[in-house]
Amino acid sequence: MQETLIAAAERRASRDARHDRRFRWMLAGAGVFVLLALGGAALSMLWGGREAFATFGLDFVTSATWDPIGQQFGAWVPIYGTLVTAAIAMLIAIPVSFGIALFLTEVAPTWLRTPIGTAIELLAGIPSIIYGMWGLFVFVPMLAEHVYPWVDANLGQWPLIGSLFAGPPLGIGTLTAGLVLAIMVVPFISSVMRDVFLTVPTRLKESAYALGSTRWEVVWDVVLPYTRSAVIGGIFLGLGRALGETMAVTFVLGNAHELSTSLLMPGNSIAATIANEFAEADTDLYRSSLIALGFLLFVVTFIVLALAKLMLRQLAKREGR
Amino acid sequence: MTDLRTTVAARDATPATTTKMAVRRLNFHYGDFHAIKDVSLDIPEKRVTAMIGPSGCGKSTLLRVFNRIYSIYPGMKAAGEVLLDGENILDARYSVNRLRAKVGMVFQKPVPFPMSIHDNIAYGIKHYERLNKADMADRVEQALRQAALWDEVKDKLKQNANGLSGGQQQRLCIARAIALKPDVLLLDEPTSALDPIATGRIEQLIAELRNDFTIVIVTHNMQQAARCSDFTAFMYLGELVEHGVTEQIFTQPKVQRTEDYITGRFG
Amino acid sequence: MSADLLFLKRRIINAVALLLSAAAALLGLFFLAWILWTTLSKGIAAFNVALFTQMTPPPGEAGGLANALFGSVMMCLLAVLIGTPIGIAAGTFVAEYANRHWVGATIRFVNDILLSAPSIVLGLFVYTLVVRPMGGFSGFAGVIALAFIVLPVVVRTTDDMLKLVPAQMREAALSLGIPQWKVTLQILYRAAAPGIVTGVLLALARISGETAPLLFTALNNQYWSADLSEPIASAPVVIFQYAMSPFEDWHALAWAGAFLITVFVLVLSLFARLVLLRKRVPND
Repeated sequence: MQETLIAAAERRASRDARHDRRFRWMLAGAGVFVLLALGGAALSMLWGGREAFATFGLDFVTSATWDPIGQQFGAWVPIYGTLVTAAIAMLIAIPVSFGIALFLTEVAPTWLRTPIGTAIELLAGIPSIIYGMWGLFVFVPMLAEHVYPWVDANLGQWPLIGSLFAGPPLGIGTLTAGLVLAIMVVPFISSVMRDVFLTVPTRLKESAYALGSTRWEVVWDVVLPYTRSAVIGGIFLGLGRALGETMAVTFVLGNAHELSTSLLMPGNSIAATIANEFAEADTDLYRSSLIALGFLLFVVTFIVLALAKLMLRQLAKREGR
Repeated sequence: MTDLRTTVAARDATPATTTKMAVRRLNFHYGDFHAIKDVSLDIPEKRVTAMIGPSGCGKSTLLRVFNRIYSIYPGMKAAGEVLLDGENILDARYSVNRLRAKVGMVFQKPVPFPMSIHDNIAYGIKHYERLNKADMADRVEQALRQAALWDEVKDKLKQNANGLSGGQQQRLCIARAIALKPDVLLLDEPTSALDPIATGRIEQLIAELRNDFTIVIVTHNMQQAARCSDFTAFMYLGELVEHGVTEQIFTQPKVQRTEDYITGRFG
Repeated sequence: MSADLLFLKRRIINAVALLLSAAAALLGLFFLAWILWTTLSKGIAAFNVALFTQMTPPPGEAGGLANALFGSVMMCLLAVLIGTPIGIAAGTFVAEYANRHWVGATIRFVNDILLSAPSIVLGLFVYTLVVRPMGGFSGFAGVIALAFIVLPVVVRTTDDMLKLVPAQMREAALSLGIPQWKVTLQILYRAAAPGIVTGVLLALARISGETAPLLFTALNNQYWSADLSEPIASAPVVIFQYAMSPFEDWHALAWAGAFLITVFVLVLSLFARLVLLRKRVPND
């Protein structure tokens, strides 16, 4: 009796161990799949873009000639456009997001914090194509009629930076794309910043208040230093978005392959170029050039996002998580 | 000290019985940390053995060796022997499955599974036995009665177990463990998350369960050890300092350190 | 006197900073309200039943978005069906088997990159992986591209939610002698279910408006098609095409589509939050 009981237990034990092993391998397989997805994305684009890289070499990055008919592809215009639109977006989005996060954690009355916070989080989830359409149909005409003529007449006359703001008030263009991007990443960055600010221990803030600090001083001298790396991490996450954002930009950028100093002129970005032209690319070299562009975008965003992760992790470490 | 003396004196003296579990020269490491140092200890059958000592002394770790629950985390290693009915449970050939059917465990915080009260009890049984509905209902009732919970929950067996109070949840966890009819029941500070009244009920329950199970309880509460254990083991910095009949440990400790701890001079 | 002045200066700086922060919040809310208002008003103006019954029309003719909406629903659901199980499995591996191990840390890192990677890049990836070898654009390729967006969201939420399940729940179950696979499937998933469901719903909300990865995978189709080996229309791609066109009636259809997607995304995100709030079980 005792013997058979033990035998039954051992049978069950070995069956359980077998199932456990299989289960584990299945899960591990899925984990490896995630690794392969990223690795595969990088390698497949490098492979798809090899023809462009081989044909043009370094010129692919430095040349501003994008000529599908003549089969000459230099990506400087979209690269420049990507960097400039993202820079404009960040220039605006960082202070505004900081203000919103500050408002949501320290300034607003408590009952107002959750609804506004939720509203901003929800708006971060609205598809970018909506931002793009609003930009094209509402924002662009408004800018063209009311804002850009003034910008051209005033800022455009300034020494040094004047050439950036001089030009016909078309509405679409690099500056508009930067503005729309800013509106898009603000909800995103501000909700990250708010979450980060909320991690500051209350006793830390209270002890600063107890010394007679004003709210602003508490934020500037206690909250920000405590969360610095995570705030930068959040900004980098937003930058990653701004660099890779496709639809919001494609609508308002104008798809022009000429390099122009003025921010009021149409331009291009990597993502917009791919979105506009890929389905119509009719030669292997053309297609390869677009994939090579995608590879460049991937590398840049990878670096930015990796930095963001590292920065965010520093706060988590400090919290002992 | 006088309190403890009267508490101990108020109980029946209990002679030792046969040894259920024998720890022989047990050493335990996690990473570089030597958590249990060369401990040997006999756990008598159908008696309550209390493990006391300051935090980090290795008493909980020792308990976690008894059903090898430590093995789910990497980097932990036990060397030596723990004999359960004469068989070494640390032997890789002694399956965890068989061990855990014989050695049940209850933890500090009550953690009911996210399912109904009935299913909480039935869940473990199902893994070992195929029972029809009526038999299962009997088994569940039996376990809940043994854990002195039946009268409070018999009308709401289908409700989620999270609706119970903390003390009820802990008794549910005890019922869940004894439903498998184990020989040994390990209690890891089972009342540290409960209020005094719920604690009283659990202690009462331990006194009743002692007729059917070999119980090892880890506790921070000296009064509790004095009230409900037959034997007490005092551990300090991973070593077993003193072990004996509870009355002797609390009234005439042989080692100075034990006395210091019991009288509250450190720890 | 100078102490008073200093105090005054500090007070003024404080007041200005707080005012600016409130202004920033107002500015943000103003633009977001403007965008929502535009979408709702233009969308409702263009809204009618034909949207759901008629096909996408050529310019100048009446029509609806039936084929595009159907394509979107089908591709999104299939993408969730593919991405969710793989995502849950990988998330479980990271949380339960490789936590505090460099393998787990690597998968987490890579997954977070994938989570924020530009979706157009994933579109290009699927183009080289699926479209080119199969010799043409297809709904199937669109599904895979969307599944790659679902995957990291689900991995992340599964990982996060399993980490919230108290360790004692695992220990209690394992100390009953129940094997780990059963503990995971029957107890841990049950405890983490509301969170995982929320993650899947948020992933669905995200892909329902994704345009970029579909542009050169599923492409577009003027007609009704349920054949995954052929190009399939989807709401976002049709909206893109129509909005960029010079035709007024196409613009109206694009706004109607944008309205539908926005409402769907907002309702779904709100609902996802409710699931998490309502079913949150006090685990500790």
